[in-house]
Amino acid sequence: MEPECRVLSIQSHVVRGYVGNKAATFPLQVLGFEVDTVNSVQFSNHTGYAHWKGQVLNSDELHELYEGLKLNKVNRYDYVLTGYTRDTSFLAMVVDIVQELKQQNSNLVYVCDPVMGDKWNGEGSMYVPKDLLPVYRDKVVPVADIITPNQFEAELLTGRKIYTEKDALEVMDMLHAMGPETVVITSSDLQAPLGNDYLIALGSHRKTKADGTWITQRIRVESPKVDAVFVGTGDLFAAMLLAWTHKHPNNLKVACEKTVSAMQHVLQRTIKSAKVQAGEGNKPNSAQLELRMVQSKKDIENPEIIVKATVL
Amino acid sequence: MEPECRVLSIQSHVVRGYVGNKAATFPLQVLGFEVDTVNSVQFSNHTGYAHWKGQVLNSDELHELYEGLKLNKVNRYDYVLTGYTRDTSFLAMVVDIVQELKQQNSNLVYVCDPVMGDKWNGEGSMYVPKDLLPVYRDKVVPVADIITPNQFEAELLTGRKIYTEKDALEVMDMLHAMGPETVVITSSDLQAPLGNDYLIALGSHRKTKADGTWITQRIRVESPKVDAVFVGTGDLFAAMLLAWTHKHPNNLKVACEKTVSAMQHVLQRTIKSAKGSSCLFLMSMGAHVIFLQKLLQKHLHEQDHAFIQ
Repeated sequence: MEPECRVLSIQSHVVRGYVGNKAATFPLQVLGFEVDTVNSVQFSNHTGYAHWKGQVLNSDELHELYEGLKLNKVNRYDYVLTGYTRDTSFLAMVVDIVQELKQQNSNLVYVCDPVMGDKWNGEGSMYVPKDLLPVYRDKVVPVADIITPNQFEAELLTGRKIYTEKDALEVMDMLHAMGPETVVITSSDLQAPLGNDYLIALGSHRKTKADGTWITQRIRVESPKVDAVFVGTGDLFAAMLLAWTHKHPNNLKVACEKTVSAMQHVLQRTIKSAKVQAGEGNKPNSAQLELRMVQSKKDIENPEIIVKATVL
Repeated sequence: MEPECRVLSIQSHVVRGYVGNKAATFPLQVLGFEVDTVNSVQFSNHTGYAHWKGQVLNSDELHELYEGLKLNKVNRYDYVLTGYTRDTSFLAMVVDIVQELKQQNSNLVYVCDPVMGDKWNGEGSMYVPKDLLPVYRDKVVPVADIITPNQFEAELLTGRKIYTEKDALEVMDMLHAMGPETVVITSSDLQAPLGNDYLIALGSHRKTKADGTWITQRIRVESPKVDAVFVGTGDLFAAMLLAWTHKHPNNLKVACEKTVSAMQHVLQRTIKSAKGSSCLFLMSMGAHVIFLQKLLQKHLHEQDHAFIQ
């Protein structure tokens, strides 16, 4: 790893488990990145458990932390990473910070997971306040360089539904036009060539050439579905995508193969362990389904490629 | 690493840098531990910089987080780890939590760094409010299993000054009598056999045998002094000592050799990098030059809640 690649990650913190900064920090650190973390909340655990308790950071407090870094002249970053946020003023403050950091370092890459909702049985619903959508669409995505929406979030941001792979590629082009050079639709309900047991993710990297024209690399990644509801996987995905696109800046195919493969290793280890903990015939609970992050260190450092990526 | 050794670490969080939980978490995770972290504060950076900004957790909020874990029945831990704290009510809440966790798991090991102050040029001074000393002495240390005081803190806890290695061993025995089976005096101004360029740390592990008598392993570790003021080293030390005493439960010598050696590697790499020659690098390190001055100034005087706005 070349000297000092520094990430500012602004995400949730949970005492127990792996979501938000807890999911993002360890992988990035083992991959050699310096990770500065602003914890947007501190909860006992994620909100999928029966109970949760904790405190949230407001946009003034976020600003205060940033001011501390700025006063010490240590507000120089190579990457910013954000994920699940519930508050529009907090999100607006994040945008201000990103813009200022981009003035400090014009090569800064902002990796944004525009977390808004998901689909269950074909039906999409938002799990953040609706007023976040215009903020993401009009303020956040335009300053982002890499975004990792799921299919529902890609549809929300563009106002365009996705029924086929062709639709998805057109939606990704619309997202490029909004700002980001790299778009990865992390999950979809599209039919996978390998069959119903496979999940499709799509990636698109648009580079503007010297003459002003674009060259776009598009890929499809198929990975086996895992029969459980995991929490934190999107946060882990975005963090690892940051790492692998950094190490493979012009090869989205390899970056996605490594990211999705590492995800698979972590999920397989997790579901195996969760089932053992739950016992024969019992459905694992939230605590048992926490990602086996620490145990997956080797897979995160050097993932064996176990998924198929196709250049489209 | 055998399945699921889970640590609850209640320490500071800084956005940038490595103190408190930022210093403790990554080492424990790479060594295979599950680390649950309660952040007692969130600051932009540690308080040795020219500036710092952030927010503190109060004892009610700490309790609230613990309640969340308890309601979900996930309040089972193998270790608790604590360090720098400034607030007596927060420390008292920590003790309550440790006691309850020990009821949940009687094998729980509480690793406590009783951070209170240090010596500069032979002169000791506290850098936490004075009213923490009786809390550490009377409430915290009695429920701790492993403590990592520096020489000054060992003297404060026992009321006994250390002038020789013999004094230090007697002070460690006094500390054992207060509760902890394992005591490591992490730094001292004792004269090292290897010479003035070496720092002495001392360790003592007292095990009670079936017949009620003790067997005590005592060790001395000498390591080269590094010519700089680092922040967070005590936090890193305590975390790695937790890990290595876990892996070598009856061999304090090996546990300390590994901990102190790892510290040396980190410090050598750090000082080399900090001295790095490029102008730009020096500019970004300006913060560190300033913090060294401020740290030295600050520690000549006592502070009372100076940073809580």
